[in-house]
Amino acid sequence: MSPDFSSLVHWILFLPLGAALFIALFLRRAGAVAAWLSTGVAFALAALALRLLTVGVGDTTWHVELAKLGDISLGFGYLIDANARLMLFVVSFVAAWIHLFSVGYMRDDDARGRFFGGLSIFMFSILGIVVADNLLMTFVFWELVGFSSYMLIAHYFDKDYAAEASKKAFIVNRVGDLGFILGIAFCLAHFGTLNFAELGALKPAAGWPWVLGALLMCGFIGKSAQFPLHVWLTDAMAGPTPVSALIHAATMVAAGVYFMARIAFLLTPDLLQLIAVSGAGMAALAGLCALAQTDIKKSLAYSTLAHLGIMGCAIGLGRPDLAVLHMAMHAFFKATLFLGAGSVIHGCHHEQDMLKMGGLARKMPVTTAAFVAATLSNCAVPFLAGWYSKDAILEAAHASNLYLFTLLGLAAVATCLYSARMVRLVFFGPANSEAADHAHESPWTMTAPLVVLGLGFSVAAGFAADALIPAAALARVAEPLRAMTFHATSAATIVGLVALALGALAFRYYGRAAGVDSLRVDLPRFYGVLEFRWMDTVYGWYVDRVQRRLSEFLAFLDLLLINGVAVRWLGAGVPAVLGYLTGRTLHRGQTRLYALSLVVGTLLLAWYFLAR
Amino acid sequence: MEHTTLAHHLLLAGLLFALGLTGVLVRRNLLVVYMCLELMLAATTLAMVAFSRFAHKMDGAVFVFFVITVAAAEVAVGLALIVALYRRRGTIQSDALNLLRD
Amino acid sequence: MPDGLFTFFAALTLGAALLLVLSRNAVTSAMGMILALVGIAADFFLLDAYFLGVLQVLVYAGAVMVLFLFIIMLLDTDDAVGAYPWKTAALGLATFFLLGAGVLWLFHWSGAVSAAPAGATPPEFSANPAEFTTAAKSFGRLLYTKYLLPLEIAGFLLLVALVGVVSLSKDAPEGQA
Repeated sequence: MSPDFSSLVHWILFLPLGAALFIALFLRRAGAVAAWLSTGVAFALAALALRLLTVGVGDTTWHVELAKLGDISLGFGYLIDANARLMLFVVSFVAAWIHLFSVGYMRDDDARGRFFGGLSIFMFSILGIVVADNLLMTFVFWELVGFSSYMLIAHYFDKDYAAEASKKAFIVNRVGDLGFILGIAFCLAHFGTLNFAELGALKPAAGWPWVLGALLMCGFIGKSAQFPLHVWLTDAMAGPTPVSALIHAATMVAAGVYFMARIAFLLTPDLLQLIAVSGAGMAALAGLCALAQTDIKKSLAYSTLAHLGIMGCAIGLGRPDLAVLHMAMHAFFKATLFLGAGSVIHGCHHEQDMLKMGGLARKMPVTTAAFVAATLSNCAVPFLAGWYSKDAILEAAHASNLYLFTLLGLAAVATCLYSARMVRLVFFGPANSEAADHAHESPWTMTAPLVVLGLGFSVAAGFAADALIPAAALARVAEPLRAMTFHATSAATIVGLVALALGALAFRYYGRAAGVDSLRVDLPRFYGVLEFRWMDTVYGWYVDRVQRRLSEFLAFLDLLLINGVAVRWLGAGVPAVLGYLTGRTLHRGQTRLYALSLVVGTLLLAWYFLAR
Repeated sequence: MEHTTLAHHLLLAGLLFALGLTGVLVRRNLLVVYMCLELMLAATTLAMVAFSRFAHKMDGAVFVFFVITVAAAEVAVGLALIVALYRRRGTIQSDALNLLRD
Repeated sequence: MPDGLFTFFAALTLGAALLLVLSRNAVTSAMGMILALVGIAADFFLLDAYFLGVLQVLVYAGAVMVLFLFIIMLLDTDDAVGAYPWKTAALGLATFFLLGAGVLWLFHWSGAVSAAPAGATPPEFSANPAEFTTAAKSFGRLLYTKYLLPLEIAGFLLLVALVGVVSLSKDAPEGQA
């Protein structure tokens, strides 16, 4: 271990916290200063992360014990392994460009100080998860991520939908986190340690109990928006677009995948199977649902759900390395897509309805180029970034289970369909509204990130990985990256090419009529099924019918038994009976009589217990 | 120390407790009543420490630690109540506080 | 016979407690209370519970009684002038003597309390956490192991008390003053 390793991680971790505190304390009114401070810190972080990546390649740890309760040691420490290096690079690098984008996007916002403070605290939280070396520290930062995402989603808190969306994200995440903390307690009770390295060294004779993995998985399901706790992700679009980019691309949802990769050794085969099936199923369904969204950000959110499903499936297939690789590639192109959407929304004066856009290719050439590049990467066009990870997962699925492969293939087709639809509706054809007609290209602070992430990384992060990404970050995923070659005859490639062909057809299909959704015209019922929010309806029914009835019943019991029988009846009944027996009321309004009866009663009780 | 036995300490504690209780019963000023209550509490801690010392067990002493903590919290709340009572009723004589009679 | 120091402090404590109970003036009562608490703290020292003795002086005789004195000065209320009703006085005397007699019987005449001496002076610190030791850190050791949950609850209780005091000491609502 090199001597400056831990201090470097200290800097990476606490620099954003310092920035956030400084902004919160002094710069709430000075939005412009806060914006550049936060952005500067983000780029400094990226530089520090690069420096850390050049320091060493092996696993490094650093730990300090904070409290020792009996045999339980609670500590704070870093575990930098290959996964952490890749995640560190992706998070700090992508986030830095998102910060720069935000400078332009939020230029007219009154609460810029709060926004950039929130971004910095978000960076602190997510980096904490990345470097954490034990479950409890992970959990603490996990909750901090929940808090900061709540704060960022609710940026426009005076709008009802934003306030409700942030509340929803927070509460749904708590459901998953309940499992997480129970898992921590379980782990502590059975194995006596929370440290990843120590847990990894343990080899329980009877294998890892499936309960532990299942409980910890709950946290992943909530944070990474896996079925059935995926409902918050689409609503979280209420936040400013850079927040969506940060949450969906680089950080929050990736945290769950990263965490699963870190504790992959705890998962039993049954659990893996479950994750794989639910992930693949969600990938296919969410991809189709994206077809029935007119809001550009919601459509992208479903696309994120689909990719998260693919990552979940990769973990379930026992290939966490592929999941982490896809997480990194997805971070590049999905960040670009969201930033592109942000640029479009900014250019169209906050119009988010895709049906009201159109023809932006001529007015916003840079945005269009980056968006299209990222879309092609998203569709896994061979040799673009997305292809390296997505096709690898498809191959892995094909090798293990045909059903999973079918579902993932469906997801790939759906991806191409909604991508074609999105590009066609937004950038081509005639302008369908006043706002789209008067669209303008965004300033350099917004286009620069688009160029770097979209035209650079979304395209080339696969075949030019060695040039773009530090070697230390690639250690874990280098093998699958190098192993990807183009076999025209492999099943995954065939499915991918068919999907691309279908995407091209969809591009023509959606070009037929302007201002309307062709699918909605042709197959209204199918469209309606896709648009309907099934799980939200189920939760609504559950909360309204089951949970509320139960709580009303409990409230009634409380009123009847506690208030009525135990308190009122005893409180009124006993004095009444005694008063009747003694011929006068006990309530004489004299404190000392109450005190005296208290003493006498206590003495009688003491006598009873002593004499027994 | 050689000649002091457990009984001596318990006697002292018991007498203090009895004095405190007498004060609680006869005094009319709520503040004084409250001080007498605290005296009773202190008497019980004395008994507890004595038991702890003579049984060579640490637990009683640790419990006294908790009693002192709780007593501090209790005093704060109780005095705030008395002040609130004084503000509302203008008196803290227990004889005058007899609304419950009716 | 008990040793001289114990006799002295026991007499001091009881005398101060009498002053507390009997004095008409609330400030004098408070002074008696302080003296009684110091006497109890001295008894803690005689029982080798040095840490608790210091705590008693700091928390009780210091902080708590200062609070009492503040409130006494703030409200400035002595007992109402005039003799105690004979009923009250009789009640008090009866309580004290009955209870005192009970205490004497229970702890002295009944023979239920062992007359064994306290034994050797306890060690300052011992490997066995349950043994009576005098060092402050033996408290800490138990507080953070066996009594961790009560400690957390006590901390929470302090927080609740703090909140309660803040809400109680706000001005009374309109029309109810």
